[in-house]
This record gives sequence, structure tokens and C-alpha cells, in this order.
Amino acid sequence: MIQLSIDGREISVPEGTMVVDAAAKLGIEIPVYCYHQALGPLGACRICLVEIEKMPKLQTACTTAVREGMVVHTGGPAVEKGRQGILEFLLINHPLDCPVCDKGGECFLQDYSFWYGSGKNRFEESKIQRQKDYPVSDYILLDQERCVLCQRCIRFLGEYVGEEQLMLEGRGVHTVVSTVEGQPAHSPYAGNVIDLCPVGALLSEPYHFKARPWNIEREETVCSVCPVGCASLVTGRDGHPVRLEGRPQPDLDDYGFLCDHGRFTYDFVNHPARLEQAFLDGKPASASAAVAAVGERLARVVEKSGGGAVAVLTGAVHTVEEEWALAQFARESIGTSRLAVLKPVAGDLPLPLLGTYADLAAATGVLLLGADPYEAVPVMHLKLRAARRAHPVAVWGLGDRVLTRSTLPGEDFVAEPGQVAARLGVVLGGEALDGRWAELRRGLLETERLVVLWDGADPAAAALLAALAGQRGERPTAVLPTHGPRNWLGAVRAGISAEHAAAARILEDAAEGRLEALILLAADPLRDFPDGDLAARALERVPAVYFAGWFAPEPRHALSAMLPTAAWAEVTGTYANMEGRLQVAHGAAAAPGQARPVRSLVTALARAMGHPLRLPDFDPFQDQDGDRIARPAKQPAESAGAPARPALPPGEWRVLTGDMVAVSHPPSEIAERTREPLPLRLHPHDADELGLGAPGGLIEVAQGERRFVAGARRDARIPAGRVFIPRGLADVPANRLDHGAGVKIALADPVREEVAAP
Amino acid sequence: MSSARPDRHYLLRQRDVPDIHQLEVYRAHGGYEALKQALEANQPDQLVELAKASGLRGRGGAGFPTGMKWSFLPKDGRARVLVINADEGEPGTFKDRELIEGNPHQLIEGMIITCFAIRAPESYVYVRGEFLHGYERLTAAIREAEAAGILGAEVMGHPFAHRMFVYRGAGAYICGEETALLESLEGKRGNPRSKPPFPAVAGLYGRPTVVNNVETIMNLPPLVLKGADWYRQWGTEKSPGLKVMSVSGHVNRPGNYEVPLDWTLAELIEAAGGVRTGHQVKAVIPGGSSMPCMPASQLDTPIDYESLVEAGSMLGSGGCIVMDDSTCIVRAVARVVRFYRNESCGKCTPCREGTYWLTDIMDRLERGDGEMRDLDMLLDVSDNINGKAFCPLGDAAVGFLVSAIKHFRGEFQEHITGQRCPLGARQYDTAIH
Ligand SMILES: Cc1cc2nc3c(=O)[nH]c(=O)nc-3n(C[C@H](O)[C@H](O)[C@H](O)COP(=O)(O)O)c2cc1C
Ligand code: SF4
Ligand code: SF4
Ligand code: SF4
Ligand code: FES
Repeated sequence: MIQLSIDGREISVPEGTMVVDAAAKLGIEIPVYCYHQALGPLGACRICLVEIEKMPKLQTACTTAVREGMVVHTGGPAVEKGRQGILEFLLINHPLDCPVCDKGGECFLQDYSFWYGSGKNRFEESKIQRQKDYPVSDYILLDQERCVLCQRCIRFLGEYVGEEQLMLEGRGVHTVVSTVEGQPAHSPYAGNVIDLCPVGALLSEPYHFKARPWNIEREETVCSVCPVGCASLVTGRDGHPVRLEGRPQPDLDDYGFLCDHGRFTYDFVNHPARLEQAFLDGKPASASAAVAAVGERLARVVEKSGGGAVAVLTGAVHTVEEEWALAQFARESIGTSRLAVLKPVAGDLPLPLLGTYADLAAATGVLLLGADPYEAVPVMHLKLRAARRAHPVAVWGLGDRVLTRSTLPGEDFVAEPGQVAARLGVVLGGEALDGRWAELRRGLLETERLVVLWDGADPAAAALLAALAGQRGERPTAVLPTHGPRNWLGAVRAGISAEHAAAARILEDAAEGRLEALILLAADPLRDFPDGDLAARALERVPAVYFAGWFAPEPRHALSAMLPTAAWAEVTGTYANMEGRLQVAHGAAAAPGQARPVRSLVTALARAMGHPLRLPDFDPFQDQDGDRIARPAKQPAESAGAPARPALPPGEWRVLTGDMVAVSHPPSEIAERTREPLPLRLHPHDADELGLGAPGGLIEVAQGERRFVAGARRDARIPAGRVFIPRGLADVPANRLDHGAGVKIALADPVREEVAAP
Repeated sequence: MSSARPDRHYLLRQRDVPDIHQLEVYRAHGGYEALKQALEANQPDQLVELAKASGLRGRGGAGFPTGMKWSFLPKDGRARVLVINADEGEPGTFKDRELIEGNPHQLIEGMIITCFAIRAPESYVYVRGEFLHGYERLTAAIREAEAAGILGAEVMGHPFAHRMFVYRGAGAYICGEETALLESLEGKRGNPRSKPPFPAVAGLYGRPTVVNNVETIMNLPPLVLKGADWYRQWGTEKSPGLKVMSVSGHVNRPGNYEVPLDWTLAELIEAAGGVRTGHQVKAVIPGGSSMPCMPASQLDTPIDYESLVEAGSMLGSGGCIVMDDSTCIVRAVARVVRFYRNESCGKCTPCREGTYWLTDIMDRLERGDGEMRDLDMLLDVSDNINGKAFCPLGDAAVGFLVSAIKHFRGEFQEHITGQRCPLGARQYDTAIH
């Protein structure tokens, strides 16, 4: 530790700390533009000048590391003059745009000029004119005149993300930020530069001219799109969310970065497809009529056949409180124990292994088990890169396709489709392993702190993960599940089973005629249940399906009733992210139409059933576990492999699937701009053989009688002979294909497809 | 009393030996003897000691003791690199150009000796893009040396292997600053890097790196042959040896002069044929346009590093710009400030914006549209740049301006009161430059 004094106050901080951060620890704010803890020092803007005794010149607090006995003054005449000089320089070529700038009122050039500026203007010459409203991506506008050239945006994308898509162009006073070779900055992390930009130079296009700071509500929330649950701020205006920003959480070492799939899909709550109106038997109904009818019908079923004839599946996207209200309704009002989370994968994480983001930050080794964080849970990819920047981290990919990538290099171990867990079993078994696989075994067992990012797809992996933790003994092993739904751990906290078997039993019961009614809370079994055929049989057979939620599943005629519920940003409540951490989110918008919180809906339904439901107080935060959900103690586990699959006849392709947030995010008109037209993936050699152009084109995927057509892209990370189909894709439902059998692939005839389209 | 001018050239040897850029000629006149001797002695550390003992200081501008710079390399077993700074962009300085064009083998020999001393298997020369002729001469000389077994898997039969690369800059003054040079050499935008880490610790591609000027390293061959004491016969205790001074401006014979470091400015101007007949010296910038100017009253100042600092200026790169009484000092300042505005890399606020502002004010003054308060504003804006910029270019941009207002304030005032140049100088044509 280094002891120093800042403005007469003593502090001791770790070696290597910059003066600016040491001052912040004392609550002394030194202004900065170019410095950002995530990016490290640059020394470009010079606004952070301070006086350090025994140094002849003013020093920049962001580039100067603390030294023993240092005496720092963050004020005084020299510092004030220095800062005023820098601010004056920054303003000479800065346009007088404040009244029309989206960042007006949220801008550090305004703030610092107000706090530290001289208030005078001596510059009489003309200002340089540059590009305004220059689109650097589908979502981001750049105003070069307002830029203070702090380079945060460039360094964030180039160094932090590793996707060099912005750069400085020109020299001296003609320097501007621009895109690399005029190509859009299409990184899925690019939106963060809007938050990072200290001034109004980088703007959100969807938010452009939408609001002023004094007519918005800006509330703390968490992203609702994937289980990372990134901390964010939602801006509401006139009852609608109009912006999502990252929200740094200093005590969790989180800089508040988001991915663009999360940042630019907040408009889903106002999407035309949003359920805002109740429907009964396919016809619009008033909320009270629909609720009364559903309540009465449920009461009749319960009376006739008992509560057990009703089952409830939740898609686990509502708040913990709402999931809990649902569970109370199921148990108390209906009297059923058939209640489960609908997950898109069949694996069940052994909860004792549940890790944290702090585990990831400290990891020495990371196993990507089936999971491609960049596509499935994008900000996890950034967290991994950040860990790597801090210290060496070994990364291994074990899946049925390549899981590492150029921005997250590591060793890949590609298994046969469906054999991922079996492979892990062989590795843990340790017998007759050849060189690379033996290395993997050694790495997994010997790395000091192991974190596994698991996609949950292969159920056999669960026991193996427990066995792996057992074999590692004292060395910590943590697992972070990358699969959805967003709040499945919150539903677990609410007392709802998230075991695959529980949901499967409900659907089997339905398919075999043992159920008379099925209640779906924001659940879409046909799209999401791993066995789509079972889901289809279940929905066909069960006499009544009641849906409540935001987006009704297709086919809607199969639904006896549709009841709208309030969505994220419209209620205040709690979510749990993939580390099981409870997160509070506040509302900033109004629920549209008849949509109402689940709590209010289920009490109304209960009343209509003739069993008023009194919901006792519920606190998702359990005292003994702080802000994480309870985790049972570790149990010893046996390792088990998975049966090998038979070889395929020639000409058949293996189906791979995985999560892609770009496909699974809720419907969004904003994100429509970057919708992936070619969501399927094939190896380039296979694409060549098929005669698929670059970057791709339409293909037909066939299995037996089933035929699907969708766009496919070339991707060298997919092994030859395999086709990757993201989960939840409407055009090609991967859960309707038998992954054990092969599929046939052919070029789709675009002309025929056009004719065939209705 | 100043030391006598040496009877021959030790750096600008082409002045004494025609065609010395050819390997054959260079060897016939003792070329590569120093290298041979160094390799035979096989005591790299002794070479570092020799550099230290000689008191040789960097000729690129900062005057840092060369032997000391070499000994800053961490002893951690990583492969080291020598990078030669031949970017020479400082206005008024043109010595490296003549040295490379006329005597490239002495640079190569000095580089190999240095690399042997610091154990660097690779070296790079970053040549100013405009020096096409020098680049070709140097490349040809390297090819000759390779063919003759002086460079390559063995160096003159010694198992010390060495490879040398030449890279042409793209015309940015800032790439002469050593860390911007390294960025540029790595193929990146030429912006200076933060120090620490210093190049000695993490330089080219993160490797331990020594950056030295062309002239600095060309001193090595004679030093190895003749020793530190020989070198110390010239100059002062702290600034020993010979320096190639580029003399330009209103002298009768502008050019490069290899002179002892204890000469005075007056002696140097005399050597360059004196100021034009019928004119008096008005001001001298002794070390390139980055340095403050000195009025005629200070011509007796010796050119060693210490004396020039004491007199309010610096030796810098040794580009001595002589201005006689026909010079409009306002115009000269406007021109120099504009140069720095154009060459500012744009990384840091005070230099990028400040030089732009200063240029505008200077243009106004030169046009005759200035106001009295502009003079104090010029000084205040300069003060807001000085010592607050990221790299020394910011300070360099205002050195001449501030010293000119100090020494020639009256002339600035006359531009304002008379609304024109009292000397009738034409305004600098900004449409062309
Ligand atoms: C703006 C700027 C420009 C510079 N240009 C040159 C140059 O053209 N040539 C040079 O040798 N050194 C130049 N330098 C100095 C170098 O940074 C460095 O100090 C020098 O190359 C070290 O070599 P030396 O120790 O042999 O002098 C420049 C420095 C600055 C700040
Ligand atoms: S656009 Fe914004 S973040 Fe990027 S350099 Fe300019 S001011 Fe900084
Ligand atoms: S990573 Fe997930 S939670 Fe975070 S911003 Fe992206 S979609 Fe939202
Ligand atoms: S002072 Fe700043 S802007 Fe000027 S050259 Fe140096 S780093 Fe670039
Ligand atoms: S914040 Fe310190 S130089 Fe920019």
C-alpha cells in the first residue's frame, strides 16, 4: 500500500493506483474526459491537471501513479488556471448546439464548464465546421463538431472489445473520429460508445430528438433480454421507454456495459404484436369479462376433476414477485402442484455450483461448455475479455462447434453432435486420452479457479460438472448457466421448479389427456420446449390453454384466452440474473391497454374462481443469503457419460443448435434494422459444395416430411457436415427436428419460395 | 577560449573522402575497423562504458547521455531492439539528411557496434519519408554490408547475428518524437505514447528498445577507435565532443558545420560565412524552430547544452536559424506557429486547439488587424499550452513565440498601431502553405 496526501487528507491505496482514483476514494472529484477505469490512462484531454509538490509542472491525475509521500493539490490558482485553459481550448471549436443536443443537461462539457470554466469567451476567430449526424452504425450518430477527441469510443471498441471499427482520421486540429474504411461500426457492443462519450458527439439514433432531461424519467433497471441481466437505466417519456443506458455498479466492479441486443430492444413493450387487449375464444373481450370467464372455467375444472387437472408453465420473464404470485395462485387458488419453468434446454444446473461474475473475474481457467457467450450472453464475452486483460486466463471450448473466437482465443475441442457431455465424461474418466484431450483434462483439473459457462443443452453434463468439481477438490469450481429464460433463477426463488423433468411431465400429462387446462404465463412451449413435438401433442390434446403475458404464442386459435400482463419497465420488482443475484428494477413507463401486473391478474382470477387469494408479504431477498438466491450445499456426485449416437447415412447433416440473443430477443422495431437475414450457419466448404453464394443464401432443411427454408451464412466455426440452427427461430424450429437423425440440405429455389409465400 | 576546429571531419566524412558512401571506399579509409575491433575485444559492456566515459549525448534534441540510456535496458533476457531516428523534421535542421546520404556506412557501423553493446539482434532505421535519396543510399549500403558478411547470420565472422530494417515515414513531424515513431513503425497512427512505460522497458512491439538519433550513433566508430579522452578534447565537461550544426537563414554559406561544442554562436555564424553583407544579426534560434530565439546581444553564448539553457534557449537538434535585420519577426513567428498547428498530432487538447488559436491570432496580427490586448492573450494562451500538453511538441510550438514577444515586443506593437508590417514584409501566403 502507498500512503499519500490529497488536499491535506491522507489515504493509502494499492501500488499502481492512479492519483485520480485515489482522490475518488476520498470523495474528491477530479474532472476527466479521456480517462476511464476500464480503458486505463491515455493522457489526451488534459482536464485532470493537478499540482503535485516537488514536480515542476502540473501533472495529469489520470496518468500519474501514486508514490509514497506524494502531496497532491487538486485545486489552487495554478490548477484552476490550467483547467480553465483546457476548457477554453475545448470550446473554441465546439458548436453552440446545447439547445438542440440530445445530451444537453447530461453533458460533461456543460458540467465542467459550469463548475470549472472561466465564464468568459476570448475566442473571436471562426470555428471549424465538420460532419454532423454522421451514422457510424444503424443505431449511432456522430457529430464530429461536438467531439472532444477523448478517444474513449475508439479505445473501447478497439482495445476493450477487440473490434477495431472506429478510428482517428486527419491530423492536428483537423482530427476527427470516423469509422474504419467507411464501414459501419457493427460490433454488438458499439452502443456503449454512446454512454462512454462524455459529450453529445455520439448519439443514439432511436433516441435522437426524442426527449430533454427535464421531461424524462430515468430509472434504475436491469436488462430484460438475456440472463446476464446487465444493470441499466431506462428512460421513460410519456409512458413509453425511449432509451436504455448502461449503469455502472462500482461496488460490483461493473462498468455498466451493455450489448446492443439489450440496448436497442426496449421498444418491445410497444411493439405492434404486444398483447394489450384480452381475448376470449379468439375474440377481443373486456378485461373483466375475460378474467371472469377464465376464472369460472378454471373453477369448474377444479370442482370437477380437482386442482391437479390444471397445470401452470411459466416463461419466467416476469419479476420474482410476480412469479411468486403465480405460484401462490397455482397452489392456493387452483390447488395444483403441476407448476414449472419452461426452459429451452434440458439440462439442470446443480445449484450448489452456481458461480458469480466475481468468480469469472478471478478465474484462471474458463470452460465454454457448449456455450458461445458472444452470441448467447454477449456481455459475458466482455467480462471474460476484461478478466483476461487483468491476468492470464486459459479458455477452452468444448462443444459441437468452435466456441472460442478471434476476440476470445483459446483451445477448442469439438465433439460429435450430441456427444458434448460424453466427451467431458471421457475427459474426466481420464483413460486413453490422446495429447490434446489429455491437456484439456490437466487444465480442467489443475487450473486454480475454474469457471464453466454452460449452455445447459446436454442434460448428462450436469452430473459431470458436479463430478468435475469433486475431482478438483479444494480448488474452486463455479458454473454460470448461459441459457434462458431471463428470470428462471428468479422463478426458482419464487418456489417454482426449473427442472426440465417437471415441465416435461406437465407436457406429457397434457399429451396423454391427463390435463384439462394449461395456464401459460409468458410461456411458448412450441417455440421453446426442447422437444417441440411433445409440446405440439400437448397443446393439441389439452382442452383449454389460457395464456397471460406480453406476446401470445402461435397458433393463437389454440388459446382459449389471452390476458395481457404488464412488462419490464412497467412494474417495479426484482429479477435474478445468471449468478442468482437479485436485482431491483424500477418502472419508468405505463403498461399499455389492459395490461396489468401478474399480481393483480391472479388475485382477480382467484376472485372470479370464488377463492379470493390473500397474498402475504414476500421479500425476495433472503437475509441469510444476502442478494443471491439460496443455494443448497454441495452433494457428491457420480460421473456419467452419455450413450454414443449411431453414425449417419451419407448425405445427411447433423443439426446443431444454440442460443443466439439476436434471434431470441423480444420483437423490436428498432432492432429490426440489424435483424440477421442469414441465421443458419454452415462451414464454407459445405456452402461451396452446395453452391451457396457469399455471404450466404436461402437453404432448405428437410427431415422426413418436414421442410423448412431459411437464410444460411458461411461460418468456419461450424464443423463440416453440420448445420447450426439457433434456438427459437420461427422459420426453422430446431426443437421440431430429431437431432439424433440427420437432415437433408439443399439450396432453396428463391423463385419457388417467393411463389410459395402466401 | 574555444577549442580549435578539427583538421578533418569525423562525421561528415564525405566532405574529405569522395564516394565514401560506397563500401569499398569506406573500407579503404578505415571503415568497419572499429566494428572489427569491438567484435574482437568481445566485451559489449565495455562499449557501454566507453559511451558513458565519452560523455556523448543524444543529438536528436533532448541531449540525453547516450551510455546512460543504454544502461536503462532491463536485464530480463528479452530480445532488445535499436531504433534509429532519422525522421529529422525540425525546421532548420538538415544534418541527418546529409549524414545518411553521404556517409551511410558509418551509421551502419555505429548501429552494429551499438547493437553489439546492448545485445540487440535487430535494428530499425526510421527515415523521414521525404529523404528518398538518403533512403536509397542507406538501403544500398545495407545490401552491400549484407553481401560482404557485415550483416546477417554472422557479423564479420563473429557469431553475433544481426538484421537491419529501413522504414520510410509518411511525412509527419511528430513521428520524430520517439514514442510516436514507435507507433508509426508498428503501422499505427503516429501519436505519442504515455511514459512510463519507457521504450527501454516496452518499446517497439513491447520489446526493450533504445531510440537514438543518426548523428549520435555515427559517433561510435571514431569513439571506439580513438577513445573517450580523444573525444573529450572538444567541448565542455558536460557537453563534450563535436556537433554537426545546421546553419540556415541569412548567412553567406548556409550548410552543415561539424564544430566543437564549446564554440560560440558568433564563431559558428562566422564559420558559415557571416551574416549577409550590409546586415546585422537580429535574432538567432540555436536549436531548431522548437527553441526560443536569442537576440544579437547574446551571440557570445557558447553552444554547449548548459550555456544555451542558461541563456534562455536550448541546443535542441542543432538547427541554427540566423535572422538578420530585414526579418519581420511577427511574420517569422506566424510561420513557425502555423508549422506547429499543421504538425500537431491532435492527441491532446492544448496543443491541438491552442496552436489553431495562436495561428489565427498571429495571422490577424500580421494582417494588421491585431489589438494591443492580443499580445497578452498570446502569452496567456501560450502559457495554457506550455507544460500542459502531452508531449514536448506543445511546448515547442510556443517557444519561439514567447521569446519573440519578450525580445521584440516593440515590433509586435508597431504591427498593431501601424496596422501593417513596419518592415514592409509581405504577409505569409496561407493559401499556399
Ligand atoms: C516533437 C518532437 C520531434 C522530434 N523529432 C526528432 C527527430 O526528427 N529526430 C530525432 O532524432 N529526434 C527527434 N526528437 C527527439 C526524440 O524524441 C528522441 O529524444 C531522440 O530521437 C533520442 O535520440 P538521442 O538520444 O540520440 O538524441 C523529437 C522529439 C519531439 C518531442
Ligand atoms: S466521439 Fe465522444 S467518445 Fe468518441 S472521441 Fe469524441 S468525445 Fe470522445
Ligand atoms: S448481455 Fe444480455 S442482459 Fe446484458 S445487455 Fe445484452 S441482452 Fe441485455
Ligand atoms: S502536444 Fe499533444 S497534440 Fe501536440 S503533438 Fe504532442 S501529443 Fe500531439
Ligand atoms: S482525463 Fe487525464 S488527460 Fe484526460
